[in-house]
Amino acid sequence: MITKQEMQKAAEFIRKNVKANDFSFSVTGSEDLLTRFAQNGITQHITGNKLNVSLGVDFDNKNGQASGNNLDEDSLKYLIKTAESMAKLNQPDPENMPSEGAHKLPDVNNYSQNTADLSVEKIVDDIKICVENAKKKNAKLSGISEKCLDHTMLTTKNGFEGFDNSATFSHSMTMKKEGVETKVSRSVKDHAKLNLPALIDQLNTQFDSLSNPVQIEKGRIPVILRPAAVLNWLRYLIWTFDRRTADEGHTPFTDQIGKKFFGDKFTFRSSLDDPDLNAAKFLNGGVPAENIDWIVNGVLKNMSATKYYAKQKNLKALRPYNVIVEGGDTSETEMMKMVKRGVIINNFWYIRPTDRKTGEWTGLTRDGVLYFEDGKIQKSVTNFRWNEILHDATKRILAMGPSVQQEYYAKVPTLLINDFNFVDVTTF
Amino acid sequence: MDFLSLAMDTAKSLGVDYADIRIQKSSTEMIYLRNLSLKNTSLNEIYGYGIRVFKDGAWGFAHNNVFTADAVNSTVKKAYAIAKESGRVKYGDGLVLAHERGYIDSYKTPYCLDPFDVPLSEKVELMMEVNKTMLNYKEIKLAMFMLECRKDEKLFASTLGSRLDIHTIYIEPTFTATAVAEGDSQSRTFSHGGQAKGWEWVKSLNLMDKAEQVAEEAIMKVHAGSLGAEERKTLLLNPNHIALTMHESVGHPTELDRVLGWEADFAGISFATPEKLGNFQYGSKIVNFVANNTLEGGLATAGYDDDGVPNQKWYIIKDGILNEYGNTRATAPLIGLEMSRGCNRATNYFDFPINRIPNLYLEPGKDPLTPQELIADTEDGVYIEGRGSFSIDQHRVNFQFGGDMFWEIKNGKKTRPLKKILYKSNNPEFWNSVDAICDKRFFQTFGVTNCGKGQPGQRGRMTHGGALARFRNIRVGGSQ
Repeated sequence: MITKQEMQKAAEFIRKNVKANDFSFSVTGSEDLLTRFAQNGITQHITGNKLNVSLGVDFDNKNGQASGNNLDEDSLKYLIKTAESMAKLNQPDPENMPSEGAHKLPDVNNYSQNTADLSVEKIVDDIKICVENAKKKNAKLSGISEKCLDHTMLTTKNGFEGFDNSATFSHSMTMKKEGVETKVSRSVKDHAKLNLPALIDQLNTQFDSLSNPVQIEKGRIPVILRPAAVLNWLRYLIWTFDRRTADEGHTPFTDQIGKKFFGDKFTFRSSLDDPDLNAAKFLNGGVPAENIDWIVNGVLKNMSATKYYAKQKNLKALRPYNVIVEGGDTSETEMMKMVKRGVIINNFWYIRPTDRKTGEWTGLTRDGVLYFEDGKIQKSVTNFRWNEILHDATKRILAMGPSVQQEYYAKVPTLLINDFNFVDVTTF
Repeated sequence: MDFLSLAMDTAKSLGVDYADIRIQKSSTEMIYLRNLSLKNTSLNEIYGYGIRVFKDGAWGFAHNNVFTADAVNSTVKKAYAIAKESGRVKYGDGLVLAHERGYIDSYKTPYCLDPFDVPLSEKVELMMEVNKTMLNYKEIKLAMFMLECRKDEKLFASTLGSRLDIHTIYIEPTFTATAVAEGDSQSRTFSHGGQAKGWEWVKSLNLMDKAEQVAEEAIMKVHAGSLGAEERKTLLLNPNHIALTMHESVGHPTELDRVLGWEADFAGISFATPEKLGNFQYGSKIVNFVANNTLEGGLATAGYDDDGVPNQKWYIIKDGILNEYGNTRATAPLIGLEMSRGCNRATNYFDFPINRIPNLYLEPGKDPLTPQELIADTEDGVYIEGRGSFSIDQHRVNFQFGGDMFWEIKNGKKTRPLKKILYKSNNPEFWNSVDAICDKRFFQTFGVTNCGKGQPGQRGRMTHGGALARFRNIRVGGSQ
């Protein structure tokens, strides 16, 4: 694994040898250990270190960027030659921005020694425990365990220097037996905080609650979206969460900044202060990350912006670097009593836009759907397709559970949403 | 230093049942032009090797970018060590590899002009002209052009004695015009996907004409109407639309690893299970899907796959019946096959090869039929071109697709442009509804370069193709 000293030495070489007016130089070294299993056996097992070395230069607003995976002097010379040759042959970019200067960066700890120390033997031991649990239920288990360590450096001609070390561990598993299939997953910074017995319990509870599903009518139905589904949906919302695209008229967010565009109950922010969540120290080529509210009580406060657009419009050049959705205190049992009937959704699948301008998306349910009526779960039902304007759906939030950690970068609650638009039923 | 031999000798000395090494250099040039601003002009070159070890029915894979004898030996040992660990949670009684022999061979994508030899200035100039052409139209508010050129140089050796030298290349030019008017934003894209061809292919495309067409159709589309509530209609699907439809609803369901449940936790499984082979009516009798990894210009055409299995041609669906899968040396024996069809491919040196869709196309109709004749023979329908919204369930049964350009057909004529059209169908309804396919004169290919699959995610590539085809009685309507 690459050290900070090796990265600094390479940066010094770049600084001495680049002839361009400006440059940004980044190095990311990563160490991966990934074990994939399916049908109760390991099918794929990968280990190795990766390196990404990238140099962007410009001569009078003419850009070139070259990247590779070696740090020796010959490779760095080649990188400089390639990037500078490309820039010289290029045309000027009217939206080119100078590299960042020195900044004081936030004090964020994205590293965990517990995760770094995790051995392949321990990972396989844990997978064995999970598989044995599935075998007891005559079920098949598939999933993945992955440990990932990253060391990153960014430095620029104008004096920016930033380092970050991060660690993540993720574990997911799908248990399947005949018509019943369900999944749990979790990722964390600190492996010690992943409670595997609790995750197995959650898998068993979900699995035991499901049975061979029956089909019910499509239509507008209240839904209880569990955290995995909420996060899956938010990922796609963030995909279109760009200020420039909105201002240019391509998305539903056009002219909505400062307005109540989402439901009252919906608040979404990125924060440097949550010790459980990884957070960026810097973004967009060296802009220091900071706490930022994106949506507060339904009001659209901020959107992602590039450095160029942020300068034009006097905005912050930030993007959502982690996801915290404010929760409430309603339990799933209480939610089931708040509406006559509805469905509980474990997760969504294959979300895609159907109309970028109106903000309509499509997707399917996955990992088990439960039908409830009169406050009680009645049966498993087959999956649905939905076509829904997701920002409108936040206006139909009736209740929220506590915000819980779903991934190393996200805390989201369970949501009770009225009248979710199911347009089709699937055959399983 | 002969690292190939060193790695294989070390692996043999450890007592592996099988091992291979893939030394791979991948070069990717990307140019992204947003209006007249060059947002990305980059060249990425990565070089390293991945070593697979198979021991007692289990895999281990380790990768490295340090080319010394010590590093190669240590990487083999790492792969061996984790293969042994994999063996502690064995797949069944252990995986078995399909029979194969060693080959000493080479393959090179046929082309005249290497896109990496074309000066950057020439490419940027062309892209600027295309975007300027699109932006000349008042209602076009956004023009985007993305050009990707990729080259892979691979050396492969295995303990079966194979020594392969494989050079592949592809180019993918894609541009989009977006019109904003009447409170709406609609785009139109030019794309044939990626093609394993030289720069001469790009020169033959008449991109300036295409830029005008794309801009004019984007404007037409933003002012177009839509359809009302969903109803059953006839669809005419253009080749660069059905490429994605077949990818999702035929290609993925017939990958044998999915069929076996290996993707259950991530990409999903398949309804097309082995008991359906030879008897399941996947499509109508005129529906024939050919897997062809020898297809010239095909993105999966490389001489051999990353198991060292030669490229082949076979039927996935024959006369409408599910005939065979795309498989690998590790998956084929699990349904009793002795040989692999050679569909194991990795994207970069550090990726473990996975069961991929082959080049896959819908065979053209056997009887002479032109697109004009097919339109003239259609009373009430919708004609769809290009890729739009696409979504399919994790068993690959139920799906919803949009498109890039839509035309209403009434009484045998294209009568008006449409927008925001979606259709829903499922397997086997969809492919069984095909009642006409234009003939081979109208066959076109479309190369997919961004097929996301695997963990860690890999970006696979393969080519699809077909001629204009007609689908009857499909649920079609406007979006909300």
